[in-house]
This record gives sequence, structure tokens and C-alpha cells, in this order.
Amino acid sequence: MSKSVDLSQEGIEVKKSCCYFCHQNCGVLAYVKDGNVLAIEGDPSYPTNEGGLCCRGNIALKHLDHPARVNYPLKRVGKRGEGQWEQISWDQALDEIAAKLAAIRDEFGAEAVATAGGTSRTDDWARRRFMNLFGSPNCFHNSHLCWIPTFMVETAIYGWCPFDLDLGASRCLVLWGQNPGASSMPEMHHIRGLQAKGLKVIVIDPRFTETAAKADMWLPLRPGSDLALALAWVNVIINEGLYDAEFVTEYCEGFGELADHVEQFTPEWAAPLTWLTPEQIRESAYMYATSKPGNIQWGVAIDQLGKSAGAAMHARALLRALTGNLDCPGSDLLTGPSQDSITDEEMEANDRLPEEQKAKQIGADKFKLVTWPGYGKIAELAKKHWGKAPTAEWMCEAHPPSVFNAILTGEPYPVKALLVSATNPVNSYGQSKMTLEALRKIDFMVTCEYWMTPTAALSDYVLPIAGALERPTITNSYGCADFLLCSQRAIQPMYERRNDYNFWRDLGMRMGQEEMWPWETVEDAYHYRIEPLGYGTESYDEFVELYRFHFPEREFYKYKRIGFGTPSGKIELYSSTLKDLGYPPLPEYVGPAENEADDPELAKEFPLVLTTGNGFMPFHHSEHFQIKELRFLRHEPRVEINPATAAELGIAEDDWVWIETRRGRIKQKASLTQGVAPRVIVTERGWWFPERSMTEPELGGCLESNTNVLTSVADEHCDPMSGTWANRGLLCKVYKVNGADAKEGK
Amino acid sequence: MARYAMVFDTRRCIGCHSCTVACRTKNELPLDMIYNPVTTVGPAGVYPNLSMVHMPLICMHCENPPCVDACPTCASQRRDDGIVFVEDKKCVGCLACVMACPYGARVKNHETGAVQKCDFCKDRVDEGKLPHCVLTCHQKARVFGDLDDETSEVYKLVNGERTVRLLAELGTEPYAFYIYG
Ligand code: SF4
Ligand code: SF4
Ligand code: SF4
Repeated sequence: MSKSVDLSQEGIEVKKSCCYFCHQNCGVLAYVKDGNVLAIEGDPSYPTNEGGLCCRGNIALKHLDHPARVNYPLKRVGKRGEGQWEQISWDQALDEIAAKLAAIRDEFGAEAVATAGGTSRTDDWARRRFMNLFGSPNCFHNSHLCWIPTFMVETAIYGWCPFDLDLGASRCLVLWGQNPGASSMPEMHHIRGLQAKGLKVIVIDPRFTETAAKADMWLPLRPGSDLALALAWVNVIINEGLYDAEFVTEYCEGFGELADHVEQFTPEWAAPLTWLTPEQIRESAYMYATSKPGNIQWGVAIDQLGKSAGAAMHARALLRALTGNLDCPGSDLLTGPSQDSITDEEMEANDRLPEEQKAKQIGADKFKLVTWPGYGKIAELAKKHWGKAPTAEWMCEAHPPSVFNAILTGEPYPVKALLVSATNPVNSYGQSKMTLEALRKIDFMVTCEYWMTPTAALSDYVLPIAGALERPTITNSYGCADFLLCSQRAIQPMYERRNDYNFWRDLGMRMGQEEMWPWETVEDAYHYRIEPLGYGTESYDEFVELYRFHFPEREFYKYKRIGFGTPSGKIELYSSTLKDLGYPPLPEYVGPAENEADDPELAKEFPLVLTTGNGFMPFHHSEHFQIKELRFLRHEPRVEINPATAAELGIAEDDWVWIETRRGRIKQKASLTQGVAPRVIVTERGWWFPERSMTEPELGGCLESNTNVLTSVADEHCDPMSGTWANRGLLCKVYKVNGADAKEGK
Repeated sequence: MARYAMVFDTRRCIGCHSCTVACRTKNELPLDMIYNPVTTVGPAGVYPNLSMVHMPLICMHCENPPCVDACPTCASQRRDDGIVFVEDKKCVGCLACVMACPYGARVKNHETGAVQKCDFCKDRVDEGKLPHCVLTCHQKARVFGDLDDETSEVYKLVNGERTVRLLAELGTEPYAFYIYG
């Protein structure tokens, strides 16, 4: 909001919009006159943020009309990456793209067209709908690193994944690899309020985070050792009789097998692997198991472990079941999908994708859980149980690194076109050098974007899409929650920007999908989705203005009425679904992707333990580096090093240092902090430099400080179930940048 | 007459700087100016025995504001409700107030030539709204209100919790109060 604006002037309308810079979608009031947003502020009556807006939320107006925004459809005229563009009309762009996609489909099959998505920055169900109708199973998304593997493992075990928690009545909250103090600000507020009333908070994190600083117990484990910790907790809870015997007997299957299986995983066994003491492990397991009811909040860290991720999610999921902390007051809730409104999945037209095309999904042969084999099975169970399936977008994805590999090698078959939707894979997907090579090599690339990112710069077409304040938004935990929070656009998109919904629809209209796109605007589609709620509104905007939210009455203990959505109808501690897919039915121990025990030679060369990927204010993933009102807070990438380690390496505060893994090296500036253990290195994610040249070979310095140069997507480092790759628990070395090689890495 | 005050609950502050960005955008401040920086102390101690505190700072809206006394043009003023502010038009940029303020709350705006600082968002307050940084703080670590009103949150905090005023020994009587652990 600007001091020069008089908000009491005539003709100002207040729109119930929302922030679109992270998943929280905080409620925003937008003061609009003559199609311009004059000011914004947090909406005090919005249930989550209660008027709050973080750094990012506050710069919405800077984002809306930033001079670096892409405002018109652009067509490449020079060589790829040369930065020569011609401004064209949407119609021309869509006609040409449609013709090209049709030609590729004719020659190579529909599967030769893939799409990459960003983090809920887009109308994802529409993207999936287009792709299903087009006939390609190769949609993918960064969701592998973010909740989706967790969702699928937990749904396999107990029929749904608790995203919603009844925190108000909880006595103990475990934040496992989650730092709401930097990533979920409204949630952090509620946690602090409840702590004042006695809620105990356990933070499991190698870093002394904003949240760890407020915790009742902080477990600074070795990065990537979450599986060992989870198995040891299961061991303590079973061996020391802390489990809920009645719940386990009545509602769980496979307790005997599990008890036998985890006997070996004592706290003494886990201590050297996790760098925690057996006492810390025992004490924390006791705290969770005995302060009931309690919650284990999901956090991305486990999804990002790579090879040990699936087993770690599995072991963590068992903790809720053993303690009976599921679907009872104060616990983690199995809401199921919305029964009252039309879900994302129901908008996706998944039944239109032919079986033989599903079978071609890249990566589905290796990683079965988050691809058609596992999704298909779990969706069927969910439909039987809940009447509806989880969203395929996010839960059923081609394996991104394998798609990039297919672009490079033509194996298992050629991928010729990539449609990129508000994501910058060079910076946000794993092993950036390989990803960048794939983007350089792809025959045809279209990017729908806000900014000229390194990825957009390599595209054949760049299309301007609508961002915060320009698009309506339904917030419902990716179609997996039973509630809805609805926000409206404050204004129609500026310049020639459009909702990406319209991109997919208009493309579909050109490719014979007319009868499947009856909704001209996103609002029409959204109204179709909420109509069954029975509010009797005429339009989506009317719903937002009059009601805005829909929270169905909460039913606890649903399992007493309907059981659990698994083959046996019980919680399957010993998972038949995972077993049928060819995976261990009980979580087996595997070490972190790279570690000193499995590979002592590697550890000699790379003696430090790296973790990457944690969120930090004021940026979101690889976005917002252009906005000087944010960048002034953090203008350079920083790597955290313990002062003792830094002293050994001759590194001082603010020195530029190289961080190197087997995949390559990047440079960031040293922050010496006691907040990490002596052998731990924490890099910041996302970094590129929009202020630099955005043409080849500079491309915004997209490899120079980009932590994903260091991560690993090698098949042997990926989780065999989900294919999620390794961002955490890698081995690295760190050394000072000297003048001579300071420029490398571009 | 109201007596406005702000209470900072450092138990809740997470050092996110949302308040800083909110103030900057509201007041259209150039990049070299901030009314309300947040400083972080820590992680202090030796791993893994650590603590961390964040300290939001602003103009203290002193009862006895040395800046107002120092101003030769009467540009720096104090309202009856306690809000200390600078009337841009009258400011000649002589920096007398900048020297006088013991809290470093004042900065010269090189674009306008006037010294500026937090004015408790008096435009918003006069409309019955919360200061922008207070509304924006997700953590509700900043509490604003009328200290003369016994039902107000600030009254309850200042009278019910152990609060600290910065550099209290100078006798400026700040109306910013801090709550620690
Ligand atoms: S970016 Fe900040 S203001 Fe926006 S939704 Fe997320 S937490 Fe809320
Ligand atoms: S917005 Fe609130 S929590 Fe964030 S730094 Fe400011 S006072 Fe602290
Ligand atoms: S009260 Fe207003 S002027 Fe003062 S720091 Fe907060 S936002 Fe800035």
C-alpha cells in the first residue's frame, strides 16, 4: 500500500484476492479503481493469515507491474538463447504451437510431448486435462520433492494422507524437516500461540532454524539420516510399550511382522548414523508417543532424501498408526477428498488417456509409486473407499530426470517438445548441468512465464501469464483436502497476459478438444466445481464475495464407520500395496544417498555433509530475485558453515567459497554460524541473477551459485519407490574461491 | 486523548522482515532507507546449545523526544497522542534530529532531501486501522494500541508482562516496549 494513495476516494472497490507467492495463498484485500490495483493489504478476516503478509506478499504490486515482467507473446527469431524475439499475437502463437505439436504427434507419437510444471503457480488440472486429451502421459512436476511421495506412501498404508491436522487439541507437534518460521508463516503463528498453552514442539532439523529456536526439543540430526531416526522411534515405541495396543489390535494389520522387523533398529544402533545420542532418540520418541494426542506435520525434507526417502516416509507414517494419532481429535486427520465439490482429479479427464499411452509414461518402469502403476492402483482403492481419487497431477508424474535424459539420449524414446509452465527447471530440478543440456537440446520448447528466466530464454515461444491479483484461486491442498478457500482476481490480467488455463484451453480448442473445454474462463470452470456445494450462487465471484470458504463439518474416527482405504480395510503396517508393486512391505534401512559408511573412499575426498533445498525468506524457490525490495534483504547466495570447520579450511565470514560434489561445483558466500554442526554444509537454493545477461552463454549465471548443480538424480540415488532424487545427505567439499577461477561455473 | 504505543513480543518474532518490507512499500522508501530494521542476535552459544532472538526496531515515539527539541524549523513534532513525526515540507535536512536521536531512528531521504522516520502510520491510525507493519506481522509479534485504554492489548501487555524500554536511563521515555523470553 502506498502512502500517496487515498483509499477513501470514490469508486474504489475492495476485492477478496489472495497472495500467489507460496502455497499458503494468504487472503489479500485489493483496493481497485478503474481496473488498477491501488493498494493491497492482508485480509484480517481470512482464517489463516488474519491480516498477515510476509515479505513476498507485501511486494505484490511491485510484482504486478515490474519492468522485467513478460507482457506479450514472444517468438524466437534468432538462434536459441540469443535473446532475439519478435512480439506476436496470442492467436499466431497458439496456431503455430498447435501445428508444431500436431506434427510431432504424427511423427513421434503424443508421448514425445512433455510438460514441466512449477509449484502450484499455475492451473495444473488444466494442463493435465490438455495432456490427457492430447494423449501424452509425460506430464511432470517438481512435486517429487514436495509431499507427493509422502502422500502416496501414506495413502498406500492408511488410505489417505493427513495434510490437515487438528492442532488446537494437540499436545505434541513434531516438525520433521519443516521450518514454518521461514516457510509457513501463518502456521508458525498458530503453533506459537498453542505453545503458550502447553503444546510441546519437537523440531527435527540439522539447522538451528527460526522454528528450532522456539522448539521445546531440537534434534539436530545428520542431514539425510531421517530414516534411521524414524526406525529407532518405531523401535522405542514398540519395545518400550508406548504404542496404543487397543488401536493397533483393532485397526492395524502386520504388527507382529513390524515388531520383529524393527528389533534391530535400537537407539544405540541409530545414534552413530544420526549423530544424536540414544538418550535424545529415546526422550523424543517418548515425548511424541506419550503426549497424546499428537501430530507429525509433513515437511519436504524427507521427500528430498533420494534413495532412502520412501522407506523414511514409510517409517514415519507408521508412527502415527502405532500411537493411534490418526483421525481422532487433536491428531492428524484423514479427511479424504472433498465429497461436496468437484475435485481437481475430476477435472483432469484421466479416463481419456488410453491405457497404452499410460504404459509409456517415462520412468514408470523404474519408479512405480508416483507413476501410473502405483497411482492407478491407489486411485482405484481410493475410489472404492472415498468415491473419489487423489489428483493425478502431482501424484502421477513422469520421472523428471528421466525425461530430461530422454531428451538427451532418445531413450526409451525421443522427447521432442517441452511445454514449461511457470517453472525454471535449470534451477529447480536436480543436477542442473544435465537439465540445462536437455533444455538446450530439445527440439521445441514453449514457456509460460512471468519472467525471462534462464529456461524461458532458451525457449522458442515465451507466453505471458497472469500472476498474483490477476487470477482467481481455489486453495484446497492440491485437491486432497475436503475444504475450499476461494479468492477472486482483483483485476483482469494486465497487458496481454492470460491465465495459463486459457493457454491450455485455447491450445486444446485448436487440437480437436472443443467439446471438452466448455468453460470459457477460469471462473466458469471454478463455478462448475463449487456449484454442487449448493450455495445457489450465479457465479464464482458471487461465491467469493458472499461466502468465500467451505469447511465441511468435521467427522472424527471415520474409520469406525468406513474402515481405512486399503485392500484389507485396515491400516497396513505391513503394506500389501507396496508389496504388490514390488517394494518392501516394511521399511528397510538404507543409508543416505552418499555417506561415509557405504563409500569411505568418496568420504575421503568429500568429507563434509551437504544439505540443500530448504526455503528461506524472502524468496520462493527460484523466484523473486528481480525484486529489489526483497533482494536488498539477501542480495547474494550464502552457505552456512560452522566456525570450527571454517577455521580449519581457512575460510572467513563473507569469503566466496566453492562447494563441490561429484556432480560439479558452485560458489556461495560463507556465513559462519553455530547453527549447523561442524561437518554440515547448508547451501541456499534457487539462485540465479536476473540482473545479468539473459542470453547464452551467461543465461543469468544460472549454474554459478545454483545448488542443484550439486544434487544427484542418478538412478541409484533416487528412491526406488517414487524416484525422488537426492537433495539432502550428500557428500561435498568446500574451499575458498581464489581470484583465478572465480568466474567458472557459468 | 489516546497515548499510542507499540509492544514487541520477541518471543514471537521470527526475524522474517515482513514488517520491514511492508513499511518500505507503504512509504515508498528508497533502498538505502529503512524505518524498522530487524536485527538478529544469534545463533548464540556453541552448537548444539544455542539461542536466537530477533529485535525489531522503530522510532520509539518518546514522551520526551530529543529530536523534536533539536529541530530548528519545528518540522519534527509530537502529537498529543504521542506520535512523533516529521512534517516533510518544513524539514531543511540539517540532520540535527538525526544526531539527537539516541535510537538511530531517523534517516535523510536522498530523494526528497527531508529526514524521515516511522510515524506509527498516522494516516492509517487516524482511519482506525492498524499500522501497516503491525497488520502484516503474521506472528502478531508487534502489538499496537492506546496505552491509556485499559482494555487494549498494549495496556495488558505493558502492565501484565515484564517489558523493557531501550536506553531507559536516558529519560526519553520510549513508547516502544519489548518483551523478552
Ligand atoms: S508468500 Fe507470504 S503472504 Fe504470500 S501466501 Fe505465502 S506466506 Fe502468505
Ligand atoms: S514481521 Fe513480525 S515476526 Fe517478522 S520480523 Fe517483523 S516483527 Fe518479527
Ligand atoms: S508504524 Fe508504519 S511507519 Fe512505523 S515502522 Fe510500522 S509501517 Fe513503518
